[in-house]
Amino acid sequence: MRSTDDAIATEYTTPELVAAFIANDLEDGIGVMVGANLPIPRAGVLLAHLTHGPNMRVTLSMTRTNLFHEPAMEPFEFSTDFRAAKWAESYFIHNQLIDDIKRSSMRDVFFIGGLQIDRYGNANLIGIGADYGHLKMRGPGGVGTGDKGCHCKRYYLYINNHDRRVLVEKCDFVTAFGWGDGGADARRKLGIPGGGPRYCITPLCIFDFHEETKHMRIKSLHPGVTLEQVLDQTGFAPIVPARIEITLPPTAEQIRILRERIDREGILRRTS
Amino acid sequence: MTEQVEIERRSLLLDEVEAGRGIRDGMTVALGGFITSSHPMALVRQIIRNGVRDLTVIGAASSGLDVDLLIGAGCVRKIISPYVGAETLAPIGPFFRAAAERGEIEVWEIDEALFYVGLRAAAQLLPFLPWRGLVGTSYPEVNPDLKIFRDPIKGETLIAVPAITPDVTLIHAAAADVYGNVQHHGTGFGDRALHLASDRTIVEVERVIPNQEVRKDPLKTSLWEVDAVVRAPFGAHPYSSPGFHVEDREHVREYVAAAQAYTRMGDHGPFRAYLERYVLEPATHADYLERVGIKRLLTLYEY
Repeated sequence: MRSTDDAIATEYTTPELVAAFIANDLEDGIGVMVGANLPIPRAGVLLAHLTHGPNMRVTLSMTRTNLFHEPAMEPFEFSTDFRAAKWAESYFIHNQLIDDIKRSSMRDVFFIGGLQIDRYGNANLIGIGADYGHLKMRGPGGVGTGDKGCHCKRYYLYINNHDRRVLVEKCDFVTAFGWGDGGADARRKLGIPGGGPRYCITPLCIFDFHEETKHMRIKSLHPGVTLEQVLDQTGFAPIVPARIEITLPPTAEQIRILRERIDREGILRRTS
Repeated sequence: MTEQVEIERRSLLLDEVEAGRGIRDGMTVALGGFITSSHPMALVRQIIRNGVRDLTVIGAASSGLDVDLLIGAGCVRKIISPYVGAETLAPIGPFFRAAAERGEIEVWEIDEALFYVGLRAAAQLLPFLPWRGLVGTSYPEVNPDLKIFRDPIKGETLIAVPAITPDVTLIHAAAADVYGNVQHHGTGFGDRALHLASDRTIVEVERVIPNQEVRKDPLKTSLWEVDAVVRAPFGAHPYSSPGFHVEDREHVREYVAAAQAYTRMGDHGPFRAYLERYVLEPATHADYLERVGIKRLLTLYEY
């Protein structure tokens, strides 16, 4: 964890800010999957790894490794990119994902997205529509997010677009069970291990969950974002605390490492 | 005079045309590989060429546009897969999405972990295996074959996952000898689990290697006792083959554009042209490779 008095970067993009937020929240010693097509969480994970996580285990492109001493990472566009094998300390043989549940439940941290995410942090990748037999929009499928959400130390909900269609009152279907219908015991009641969703990370703000109700609550707004903007673009009424923080900007050192070692192609610097 | 009967270890080598004859209407067929890598495309194209219909397709735990192509070609009745897509090239398979929305295919909704638990049940000759993950989600609602039950030991709430049994599994791997000892470069993804659950397995390989080569490093043998070996260099094209070549993004983009024209605009022309050019007209895998062209193939020949 960084101290807050490090020199703040003079210029940075929102994706870099979000990557730094993720990095600041990840502790050394965890195991974390680096998603191929989630460049911002990937950058955040690697930033934590290179700055204060020398004992992290990172899984990328079907390999497990430690990149602490690697001078620079190239981006791997596909999760099957065999070129990552040059770093492999062990292989992630995919069907063995049901064999290390005990270990991953203790150690792993994960990122989960959704076509929809609701106020209690449940996520949906099946599709949109009231009737499963006649979906208005068929999604790609839950992949392995639901099981991972059950069997990991904790996870982060992550979305690239903050709008009312994504952040909804109630998911049409649940692929990854967050806090169900609410309440701190929602997971324990069903015997679901794992810490559940910790934050929901968006391009506008960070949400956390109320300790008792597990209702989504605004934790911090990214610099330049207003409360009205967030409320206007969220499909449910999040809890608004008396004092809202501003998301901590990245330090000059974090930006340097991001740009020189992690994101040399500038994927996080493109303003869409 | 009695005729001399030769007693000899049998070669399992077939070509893709002979191997394709074993795949018939209504079967349950599993496809190996993972998203944009190592799908048995030479065999997939052969299935389409043969006009096979009403397949239940078990895609890989994260399956790719191999499954999507089969749907587009009209071969599929039901899909069992936790994901159908190609990441950045197509977040979701165009035909998979359209056919599911229109009710033209049935989807047996499943998560990666449940998928492997079901395959393991089949490999262990069990009717089901229990699993905890996904309790509380919509999976048991949208897929009634997944049963919530109370376990007899501790009384905990679990999901009974029925055995998932392919009639035949199709794999693309790096190498095999003619006796069915198969080696993958890299991890082999979920191919081992598909093979062990399956009644039969056909493996297409980049190279057929001598049995002596297998014996040099038996730890490399990822599948044993497969039923047929098919020589198919570049057989995973347009998807990658670890240790041999990267994915052909340009070709995949051409496919995705053709599929999207069909599903979004109702313009069947580009996909029809794609199917004829790359699947229906080439009589064999070698003819397909000639269509793609040696210059294009050589630009992919790295990893």
